[in-house]
Amino acid sequence: MASDSDSAYDSAADQNPNSLPDTPINHQFNSAIDDHLSSLTLTPLNDAVSDLAPSQSSNNVLDANSLADQIEAIDRNSSPEFEVSTVETTLEVAVSSEVVVVVEERENNLERESNLESDGGVVVWREVEGDAVASPSSSGYAGERGSSSASSASGIEEIEEHQVRVRDRSLVNGIADSQPAWIPGKRHENEDDASISWRKRKKHFFILSHSGKPIYSRYGDEHKLAGFSATLQAIISFVENGGDRVKLVRAGKHQVVFLVKGPIYLVCISCTEEPYESLRGQLELLYGQMILILTKSVNRCFEKNSKFDMTPLLGGTDAVFSSLIHSFSWNPATFLHAYTCLPLAYPTRQAAGAILQDVADSGVLFAILMCKHKVVSLVGAHKTSLHPNDMLLLSNFVMSSESFRTSESFSPICLPKYNPMAFLYAYVQYLDVNTYLVLLTTNSDAFYHLKECRIHIEAVLLKANLLTEVQRSMLDGGMHVEDLPADPSSRTGSASSHLGQHSPDRFRDTRTGVGGPCGLWHFIYRSIYLDQYVSSEFSSPINTPQQQKRLYRAYQKIYASMHDKGFGPHKTQFRRDENYVLLCWVTQDFELYAAFDPLADKALAIKTCNRVCQWVKDVENEIFLLGASPFSW
Amino acid sequence: MGCASSVPDRTTRGPSGLNPVSEGASDAKNLKVKLVLLGDSGVGKSCIVLRFVRGQFDPTSKVTVGASFLSQTIALQDSTTVKFEIWDTAGQERYAALAPLYYRGAAVAVIVYDITSPESFTKAQYWVKELQKHGSPDIVMALVGNKADLQDRREVPAEEGIEYAEKNGMFYIETSAKTADNINQLFEEIAKRLQRPDSS
Repeated sequence: MASDSDSAYDSAADQNPNSLPDTPINHQFNSAIDDHLSSLTLTPLNDAVSDLAPSQSSNNVLDANSLADQIEAIDRNSSPEFEVSTVETTLEVAVSSEVVVVVEERENNLERESNLESDGGVVVWREVEGDAVASPSSSGYAGERGSSSASSASGIEEIEEHQVRVRDRSLVNGIADSQPAWIPGKRHENEDDASISWRKRKKHFFILSHSGKPIYSRYGDEHKLAGFSATLQAIISFVENGGDRVKLVRAGKHQVVFLVKGPIYLVCISCTEEPYESLRGQLELLYGQMILILTKSVNRCFEKNSKFDMTPLLGGTDAVFSSLIHSFSWNPATFLHAYTCLPLAYPTRQAAGAILQDVADSGVLFAILMCKHKVVSLVGAHKTSLHPNDMLLLSNFVMSSESFRTSESFSPICLPKYNPMAFLYAYVQYLDVNTYLVLLTTNSDAFYHLKECRIHIEAVLLKANLLTEVQRSMLDGGMHVEDLPADPSSRTGSASSHLGQHSPDRFRDTRTGVGGPCGLWHFIYRSIYLDQYVSSEFSSPINTPQQQKRLYRAYQKIYASMHDKGFGPHKTQFRRDENYVLLCWVTQDFELYAAFDPLADKALAIKTCNRVCQWVKDVENEIFLLGASPFSW
Repeated sequence: MGCASSVPDRTTRGPSGLNPVSEGASDAKNLKVKLVLLGDSGVGKSCIVLRFVRGQFDPTSKVTVGASFLSQTIALQDSTTVKFEIWDTAGQERYAALAPLYYRGAAVAVIVYDITSPESFTKAQYWVKELQKHGSPDIVMALVGNKADLQDRREVPAEEGIEYAEKNGMFYIETSAKTADNINQLFEEIAKRLQRPDSS
């Protein structure tokens, strides 16, 4: 039965001509990754277990079919809540072309969506759907696949984001920032796993407890997803009972990625074709964000009561999680594990660092001055350094919690990489609309001291006109590929080795052109020693949010392949498809990821990458925070 | 602000945690008091404070994280002033354990509930008990029924609030941060009830 449903599944994808309209790159990557990961990969929980139970550990790779059989087995034995027998029904329903047509109609016409609710076509669909609705099981989720084509499913999300962006542009008045505007908070709250719209979402994230209680869901109301959570829990605990750990289930285009953190289970269900390693990294960050809010001592609640309901503890934090998940599609820090700095003249950043160092010496553990997600300066007491992931989670927390903008605040916060068990106390104050100061201390009584520190810091920054320079840098942006110095040998005389000194007409003229020299469109340079990266500004032809997201995903994929433990690590990679030429170069000191015009010449591209590296070295004073000790514990 | 003041001698701070470093200490004419707002999430604590301090009302809900700090000075008719240093605490359950950090040493506690939510009234009673046990013995407590503009959705009768407040030696007031109704009265009434340093 399970095998029937599986093949039905695949044929659904095949029947759909639009299933992969714009991602040929994915095919190339996936063939390798597919081989590597197969349908379902299990790793032994630990070696001891495998030694004791050779029959189980020898079974390292299972296929999805036998898993489904086994789920059915659990289902019959233990839990009446989900019925695997409905898997078959749902999948057949999903394949039926009738459903596909109706659904696509809905997708293609957003305005008509509500009208369609009442019209005959949907009534048919609802009746059919009724079978699937009967059980909020994994089958409910699977039903999504056959019915969605990638292009139309993405339509809803993309259009939303695009409209938001347009509106925001008029508000911000053209402030140059690569980050697409986005409205925080949970959307589609009324959905549950029976809603077709919920099933069509391309990327779901779930946090649940080991007893199967929902804790967080990206879409829909957690409480309504109890049955679905129980199903996920059953899959995880079934595999665990066999002494193994489930990492990934592949179901056609969908990947279901699992991460178990003690009593907390995290699951991502995605059809975005991101590599497994990336999705797993995103789950790790999601867990880290939860720890930042609650600390790991939340585990004790589960020791006392395994059925503990954690949702009230996370009350009001939807915006924090949704903004983190949103950053998985635009912020390279989420996969590079590095932070980025706001470009500033060297003396300016030095001045900011000096005043932060002052307060750090007076009992502040970390003093961080940031503009949006970019670091202006950062100081740790006694040379303590902050893990890039902690910085990402902290800045996400601050930026997505609106109340910090209203007034100065003092809040407990945990830095998961610093100490996951204990709270630090954060004094947070916005100095202007994008720039904020975070002072972290271990002393819960230090508020008034930190307030004094802030007053002092703010006075010094104002006096040095630093906040004005920060704002100007936000407007100008950092490295523009058009500014790449022509020839490394002539750079000594070139003014453009300084970021601030580009000719003013460059802005108007070259932005409308075709990127930088030799077809260079964009690059990301990560300094391994500094734990920092710099990303060039997006310019033509990568100027819509969709194009930026696609390039982001391409980088993410190639990053994963460069760091793949099975094949790599690679030192260089040159990859050409119809969208880009991607060139990667990893050395002991840095990693460079560059995107070129798909017609770019290989030799020229390599030469251009050398020039980019030289350029980065020339301006490293301005784009990196130097003197920050690398992360090491 | 000079450099010296940025690093106050930490020994000058008392054991009572988040209390102001004594700069311009209270005298008979000019009082400075620490006020803490407690109550369930979503009852409108931040809205009351922002209405009082900035005269603003923002209908979009912004969940408070930890606690926000604001201050506002009011002048009374007897030509004295009271400066309120206000700790607007987060109502979420996860911050409940940290509340002592904010209410320790507070001279005033304003406990807020939402007149449309009986649960929030129950939560308010929890906070009253907590303060009776662990707060300063001479703390001035106010029980505030907020969202008074939503009369048609009222679920907690005013009498219940009044009765509970009387039993516990608090004063009772219904406010609306949205319409600004009774907001200033709340703080003026608190100011009147404060213990004055002996004015001789």
